Amino acid sequence: MELQLGLALPPPPLIPIETFDLNSYGNYETREALGSNALSWPLLKLGPADNDINNIHHHNSSSSSSSSSSSGGGAGCKKRSFDEAPFFDEKRNVPKTLHLLLWTNQPNDEDDDPSNVLHENSSSAIFKNDGEGLVGWPPVKTWRKKVHHQIPNGGAENNRLPAVENGIGGRASKSTYVKVKMEGVPIARKIDLSVHHSFEGLTNTVMRMFGICKIADGNRKIFKLTYQDREGDWLLAEDVPW
Amino acid sequence: MQKEMAYSFPDEVLKHVFTFIQSDEDRNAVSLVCKSWYEIERWCRRKVFIGNCYAVSPRMVIRRFPEVRSIELKGKPHFADFNLVPDGWGGYVLQWIAEMAGAYPWLGEIRLKRMVVTDESLELIAKSFKNFKVLVLFSCEGFSTDGLAAIAASCKNLRELDLRESEVDDLSGHWLAHFPETCTSLVSLNISCLGSDEVSFSALERLVDRCPNLRSLQLNRGVTLDKIANILRRAPQLVDFGTGNYAAELQPDVFSNLAGAFSSCKELKSLSGFWDVVPAYLPALYSICPRLTSLNLSYATIQSPDLIKLVSHCPRLQRLLVLDYVEDSGLEELASSCKDLQELRVFPSDPFGAEPNVSLTEQGLVAVSLGCPKLQSVLYFCRRMSNAALVTIAQNCPNLTCFRLCIIEPKTADYLTLEPLDAGFGAIVEHCKDLRRLSLSGLLTDHVFEYIGTYGKKLEMLSVAFAGDSDLGLHHVLSGCESLRKLEIRDCPFGDKALLANAAKLETMRSLWMSSCAVSFGACKLLGQKMPKLNVEVIDETEPPDSRPESYPVDKLYIYRSVAGPRFDMPPFVWSMDEAVKILH
Repeated sequence: MELQLGLALPPPPLIPIETFDLNSYGNYETREALGSNALSWPLLKLGPADNDINNIHHHNSSSSSSSSSSSGGGAGCKKRSFDEAPFFDEKRNVPKTLHLLLWTNQPNDEDDDPSNVLHENSSSAIFKNDGEGLVGWPPVKTWRKKVHHQIPNGGAENNRLPAVENGIGGRASKSTYVKVKMEGVPIARKIDLSVHHSFEGLTNTVMRMFGICKIADGNRKIFKLTYQDREGDWLLAEDVPW
Repeated sequence: MQKEMAYSFPDEVLKHVFTFIQSDEDRNAVSLVCKSWYEIERWCRRKVFIGNCYAVSPRMVIRRFPEVRSIELKGKPHFADFNLVPDGWGGYVLQWIAEMAGAYPWLGEIRLKRMVVTDESLELIAKSFKNFKVLVLFSCEGFSTDGLAAIAASCKNLRELDLRESEVDDLSGHWLAHFPETCTSLVSLNISCLGSDEVSFSALERLVDRCPNLRSLQLNRGVTLDKIANILRRAPQLVDFGTGNYAAELQPDVFSNLAGAFSSCKELKSLSGFWDVVPAYLPALYSICPRLTSLNLSYATIQSPDLIKLVSHCPRLQRLLVLDYVEDSGLEELASSCKDLQELRVFPSDPFGAEPNVSLTEQGLVAVSLGCPKLQSVLYFCRRMSNAALVTIAQNCPNLTCFRLCIIEPKTADYLTLEPLDAGFGAIVEHCKDLRRLSLSGLLTDHVFEYIGTYGKKLEMLSVAFAGDSDLGLHHVLSGCESLRKLEIRDCPFGDKALLANAAKLETMRSLWMSSCAVSFGACKLLGQKMPKLNVEVIDETEPPDSRPESYPVDKLYIYRSVAGPRFDMPPFVWSMDEAVKILH
């Protein structure tokens, strides 16, 4: 699906073209549960709905957007500068600058909308272990992950925590991602240990990630895989069994 | 007429009046009145806050405000806290320090959040600013104890050194000894992020001894319980104290020494730390509990009965951070004891476990909402929720300004009705008219975004994960939330349409983060081309986005408004969609 440019300024008063029917999204009970009539008015107020997404008008529409920034003389560094700009009309839902696409109130077409397919692809990139091992979920800071590796049942005397580098939990953690750093390269990568079954596989993936191409078998001898254990010591990975 | 006005209000008078105007918003308004007010104001602005270090360049700030004494900068996007932003992304402070070193010799305060601070930056701070007073490094990284030694040694009048939640490279434990004997000015010292070996305790004791104005001290984990009494006796004027480890074998003399030390601190209002807690030592706190307004037990792995006992001694508590070991029963006790409670954060003890390990459910939060009418800020991790509970909470707490709920399993439905939680969150935004921050979780359809767009008029920050059905959801938020400044989204089926239809909205916000969504590379390019005041950055660690078809979705997308143009410090895995940046590395 090729994206078409729809540059258009919305017409001044906002005309509710179609009331978006909540019924089509099902679930009457939820509205009644709220006990208010507040949602009975149309919620989508937009410019002219254009069913044909290919209807394009090109505009030089940069003028209105640039004027808002010139007020206050380059008000770039204050956090509220854009709100303060006199050209920004706060009363409207849609600011008086350009749309890049005219909103059509058709729900996403299941057929030609790649977003469904793409969502699956993108989520499979994250869900590496059948839905477990999500990166960054639950949203707990690394600091806190390092704390919660204890057995709480009367373990008050036993308060020695393992110093875990990578946020992998104690008994019940599902996260198997580790940080991999290469000497001389500032950017670290993350690798999911559970999809590898041998040092060879792991080494290959690491080399691929850091862009080290394999020239026969020579390279494997030059690069060494090391890991940091609980005491913070660096050890050769291949000294211990997988 | 204007001439008369000019004579009756000479610049000095206006300047003097402006010094009473502290808030950024008011100062911005003042600067818009007329050209001469703009000029006067910019020369007397002393404090600058920059919410996104890439929104403006150091040179632009210096050009406009030549006499700044205090600066605050934020770097990485919030989701960096959860490992969603790869290392090396950016947020380097060095260039800022370098430019300010020349332009602001009187700079006294630097506050940074989520930035990369090197030892070189710290050394530059130490030698460039003769009147340096305040250094706050919140969630920063990239520096070591060497850099801290430079700060300690050079900053003669240092008042505040706060390293909260930063990652520090431990090279030597003796950096604290670099504070000269003549340094007596410390008011606040937070070294809670340092590891066990990184602090020389005797140096710390001597430092505390000679700083009579020390009000806030957060020790690191390596400081053992027996040493806490020593420190407290040297600083009975403390208002805010973070313990190190709170564990030791139970010995009566250690206990009574500790209890005595705490009771000598008549001003103590806030406690934190509490790693490795032995519950038997908690009663040592009882003498100060009646005065406590803030208690951070979020590292304390103590069980509900001990927590209940402690909390019941703290009737003035306004802020409580705790692990879910508190359980529903503990929260019920909290609700009956602490009527002044304003902020509650409950963290998960076992975030990655499949099964609940504690009896903490939505009931605990409902109880607190019933018992604590002043509740304003909530962060709550739990494993089940219902619309009914959320509606109750919303009705009980109309003054909520911050509501962050994390149901640990993504897309969890209402456990009673098996429906989405749209109505519950809808009630929250409808009843809590001052809500500024909201984080969603659970099973959610586009409906919830409709509610948010309709009612969330004061909403400034919204975090969304695993929610929504279509672009309509995103459209509701972008078109409805008038005050929105920060929007962060992960794993939602939002694509190009809503983003492009609301492109202009993005210029009114600080930033938008979208990862694992359905925004195509083509749409990113279009945004980058057509919106010159936005920086559109695509993050992809596996391969360049243009090696795939344009309709393919990008992995991560970070869009922020900027007057500085595209940045020059992007790592190889970040691509700018700006038309001016032709080379995609």
